[in-house]
Amino acid sequence: MNFMLQFLLITPVLACLAIIIGAPAKRTALFSSLIGLISTVALAWGFDAEAEAFQFITKIPVAEHQDLFTLHFHLGIDGMSLAMLLLTSVVTLSAVCISPEDIKRGKLFYICLLLVSLGAVGAFVSLDLFFLYAFHAVALIPTFLLIGIWGTHDRKFAATQMTIYLMAGSLVLLAGLLAFYFYLPEPTFDLVEIQEMLQGDSFTAEQQSVIYPLLLIGFGILIALFPFHSWAPRGYATSPAACVMLHAGVLKQFGFYGLIRLAVPYLPDGIAQYLPLLLVLLLCNLIYIGFLTLTQKDLNLMLAFSSVMHMGYLFLGLAGMNAVSINGMVLLMVAHGLSTALLFGLAAEIRERAGTLHFAELGGMASKAPWLAFLFIAGGMASMGLPGLGNFAGEVMIYFGAWKGAEHHPILYIVIILAAWGLVISAIYMLRAIKTVCYGSLSDSLRETEDFKDFAQAFPFLLLLAGLLLTGLCPWILSNWMKPVLVGLGLE
Amino acid sequence: MNWLILGAPLVSAVLITIGLYKNKIASVSVSIAACAVSFTSALIVFFSGEYWGYSEYLWFQVGDLKVEIGAMHDDLARLMLLMATGVALLIHIFAYGYMKEDEALSRFFAKLSLFTFSVLGIVMANNLVMMFIFWVLVGLSSYLLIGFWFQRPAAAEASKKVFIINRLGDFGFLLGILGVWMLWDSIDFLTLKSAIKTNPNSTDTFGLTLVAIGLFCGCVSKSAQFPLHIWLPDATEGPTPVSALIHAATMVVAGVYMLCRVFFILELSENALLVIAIVGTVTALGAALIALQQNDIKRILAYSTLSQLGYMVAAVGMAASAEAMFHLTTHAFYMALLFLGAGSVIYGIHHEQDIWKMGGLCKKMPITFWTFVVATLALTGFPGLAGFYSKEAILSSAYHDHPIIFGVLLFTAGLTAFYMTRLVVVAFLGKEKSGVVSHARESSWYMTIPLIILSIFSVIGGWSINHLGLEDFLHVHQHEEGTISVIAMLIGVFVIGTVLAFVLYNNRESEPFDIPMVSPLFKNKFYSDEIYKLTFVKGHQMLATGLSWFDRWIIDGLIVRGLSVISNISGEALRLIQGGNLQAYIIFFVFGVAFIGFFLFRYAL
Amino acid sequence: MAYFTDITLNHYVALSGMLFMLGLVAVITRKNSIIILMGLAMMLNAANLALVAFARFHPEGALNAHMMVFFIITVAAAEVAVGLALIVALFRKRQTVDVTQLTELKF
Repeated sequence: MNFMLQFLLITPVLACLAIIIGAPAKRTALFSSLIGLISTVALAWGFDAEAEAFQFITKIPVAEHQDLFTLHFHLGIDGMSLAMLLLTSVVTLSAVCISPEDIKRGKLFYICLLLVSLGAVGAFVSLDLFFLYAFHAVALIPTFLLIGIWGTHDRKFAATQMTIYLMAGSLVLLAGLLAFYFYLPEPTFDLVEIQEMLQGDSFTAEQQSVIYPLLLIGFGILIALFPFHSWAPRGYATSPAACVMLHAGVLKQFGFYGLIRLAVPYLPDGIAQYLPLLLVLLLCNLIYIGFLTLTQKDLNLMLAFSSVMHMGYLFLGLAGMNAVSINGMVLLMVAHGLSTALLFGLAAEIRERAGTLHFAELGGMASKAPWLAFLFIAGGMASMGLPGLGNFAGEVMIYFGAWKGAEHHPILYIVIILAAWGLVISAIYMLRAIKTVCYGSLSDSLRETEDFKDFAQAFPFLLLLAGLLLTGLCPWILSNWMKPVLVGLGLE
Repeated sequence: MNWLILGAPLVSAVLITIGLYKNKIASVSVSIAACAVSFTSALIVFFSGEYWGYSEYLWFQVGDLKVEIGAMHDDLARLMLLMATGVALLIHIFAYGYMKEDEALSRFFAKLSLFTFSVLGIVMANNLVMMFIFWVLVGLSSYLLIGFWFQRPAAAEASKKVFIINRLGDFGFLLGILGVWMLWDSIDFLTLKSAIKTNPNSTDTFGLTLVAIGLFCGCVSKSAQFPLHIWLPDATEGPTPVSALIHAATMVVAGVYMLCRVFFILELSENALLVIAIVGTVTALGAALIALQQNDIKRILAYSTLSQLGYMVAAVGMAASAEAMFHLTTHAFYMALLFLGAGSVIYGIHHEQDIWKMGGLCKKMPITFWTFVVATLALTGFPGLAGFYSKEAILSSAYHDHPIIFGVLLFTAGLTAFYMTRLVVVAFLGKEKSGVVSHARESSWYMTIPLIILSIFSVIGGWSINHLGLEDFLHVHQHEEGTISVIAMLIGVFVIGTVLAFVLYNNRESEPFDIPMVSPLFKNKFYSDEIYKLTFVKGHQMLATGLSWFDRWIIDGLIVRGLSVISNISGEALRLIQGGNLQAYIIFFVFGVAFIGFFLFRYAL
Repeated sequence: MAYFTDITLNHYVALSGMLFMLGLVAVITRKNSIIILMGLAMMLNAANLALVAFARFHPEGALNAHMMVFFIITVAAAEVAVGLALIVALFRKRQTVDVTQLTELKF
């Protein structure tokens, strides 16, 4: 089974080559992402939830200069990466599914999609910081192209802004990673070696206070942490549906993935030292961005702001710094990825039908397209945190975990109480969106609307919804997978 | 059994959603059958005695947080289960008669099943998180049901408002749960009970009060207590069986049920109990006053429900949770009956809800009329009927320790008798006040049978529960000396209220009262909707607009665009150096090298 | 001969530096691009001279510098060939070899 991870990485590359040679673009991409999903599920099947070490390890030397620089192409997964892999493959499949077959410059489009997905998969399976970083960069450039070429109005500005932000974030992140690297007793990029090396003595508090802010800001820009958020709404609102599904759904979670991998186990003092800053920023994400979401007049913009807002919950999980909150974070990362992808995908469907996403021009969709409306309401409910869907389970764990963490930092109590107001805010804007889009009298723009014609059209959305239901009804699957990870992180 | 009770409605909801919806009859039968299964199982559970702490499904376990979906069969849960499933079953049957002609009948029954599922989940919950899960689900299903006629803008708006206000309560409830977890490190009711016995933790009174009030917040929104009562009248936008289900047996009483469930926590804090009692009393009185001047039959009943809920909450606040449960149970019967009766009337006269356009219905719809009268008498406290027993119990418990609350509640009882008699007199007696009445016919047996069954329970409910072997649980306090005088006073206000209303309203064509200042106040619900709009809605809007301005001009404008402008300007400035003159470049280059060399030799070597 | 032995490394380096400065001044001040090219060649040769001198005074008589000098000579030849060809091509197009006139490559 050890070849599985390489297989996951090679499939999209081969598919890209096939598309260049002349294979039908959409079908090839679809095939490749289907294989990706199947093999990830197989991976989950063969995954040993009890084992403490990384599994499906591959280690290929890339550069071995003694005393100078050693680099291995080191792959492997644990419970957390597995969850992210499943998220990636599900979202990729549905993103490819909903993309139109006759899109302009189709070959390039699907190649870009596959590359974004490849970058995400690579980042999640890499056990080497160098490749972790490099794979993330692989995903950045196609994102720029996807928004710049296939976006809607104002796409050039949005694409440029987003890319500048993400590049800047990557730069800060690189500085952080290098600081991390050089502060190690024996510099290495290899996560497994780092784990062994830092088991006994970790970084000193001064070292941590250098590395952690760099990582926080670097990853934070990638996640759209306040005040680095303004790329996200504009970028997401203009980008084509498939791209925003992949980016908001998957790539953004990469930032949290990195923070959990590096900051939680090795930089606890740094986190504690910068906790007040983090708390202020996450409250801004939750409340400030939440209020901004209330004023949006366009569905896509609202969804984009809402996605940024929910990052606050994830940061709250980080601030909690214990097993419950980190577990909740990972669960919410998966659930938020699925629900965001679902909502953005549906928004694209609505735009295709109505030609607009302005609230003022929408209404009464439920009477014309009940299934579309059903899925939209389900997505909205997931995003609001309704039980039965994954987000709720994640949020509950985060609240409980953060509350437990507040024993060490009483200020957290106040932050949690304020953060819980997010429940109300997200209910207000989501319900308003549902009301204006689905309920009420039929708008002119939706008069000719048709529901999904067959199962195939609804499939990508049903797939995402199924994922949400699974995470919501059986969060124990993930928490079983996470148990050894949490032990490894030193939290249990 | 637990799986059957909870699972049947859920399975029905899922089945209807994924396939059965195409066949109306199948959907309805599945939904009703599911409810019947739940009811039967609840019966079995009811008679099989207490059992605590089933854990059926481990939701997740991380660290020291373990959340299960379980069940608890103590007296409280068994009584509530039986009552909720029973009333729900009758409402299901009634709903078929009422909604027969609606195109989306299947969708309606799917939602009804979902609602039943959620409510039963609250009732069975054996831990706080499970309760919270179903708590939120009840909010969701009431949202779906109230917005059932989503094409109507009013229904869409009302359902949204209901859900948002429910979320407000969830906010407090969640914080309360977190507080409980912090104080006793557990969310499981049984563990909590024993933990509190050994360690009452009474030193931290402030924290305790906050926690108790947080939990109470959940009840305030779900049971529509002051100041979050504003959603309840909006809930009448849904179809009438929904109103019955929401107002009578299930949703709103879930709040009171929850208070009784966590009473062992609440009673640790005197201050919290006082707050609860005051909120309940204010709600009881305020809602009764508003009900005096309403003209929509369903809204009158809605406010009446509110008022009765105030009674129950006040009872909990006076440490009389058993009395509250007792009133809750009797109330479920006659309030469901009243709403279903109103539904029958509305159905009979083609969706007219203004009582001043009815009149003379007693001859056209005799079964509806008589059952309605029975329910009214039960509600207003006619001696021997259900409401009389429970009201008397609550008032007795207030009589000694809380004289002010006793007075207010007694006055409210009089008001209740007054406005309910007004309703009956105006809607059923006298002349036909408009043309719609002339076509009225008695409803079909789907609708009348549930009415008759419920009226039987409204008659015997109070007496039988007192004699059903639940005395241990419903150990209704017998204040020996007080009881007689309380009974006398209760009967007194009942008689005064009824007679007064009868005299004032018999044979009237329109509202005879228009007292300046007071009537508009009641009619407009003390302007609570306006206040809600002004504070909550406007507050959020203004804050949102302000922050949006800030984000647009300061963050995105000044900072982000500012950075890009600075980069542009510096680029423009620096490009002047790039004149294209080769030799200028060389000079720069040479000076650069010299500069670096200087520092290299000066400092590095 | 004794006269020559008095010449130390410093003399060579000074000469090389002078040559280099002369070349640099030529490059900076002259407008004719052929002269600039000659200035460049002068600078290269100044470097060559310095390298050879250093090699001569190296205690172990290492030959690394000689190798580098040959390399530079080769490169310089190639560079002059390419440079002159460019200048000729430019002259054909613009009828001038004055660098102050050739300012298109900017912004």
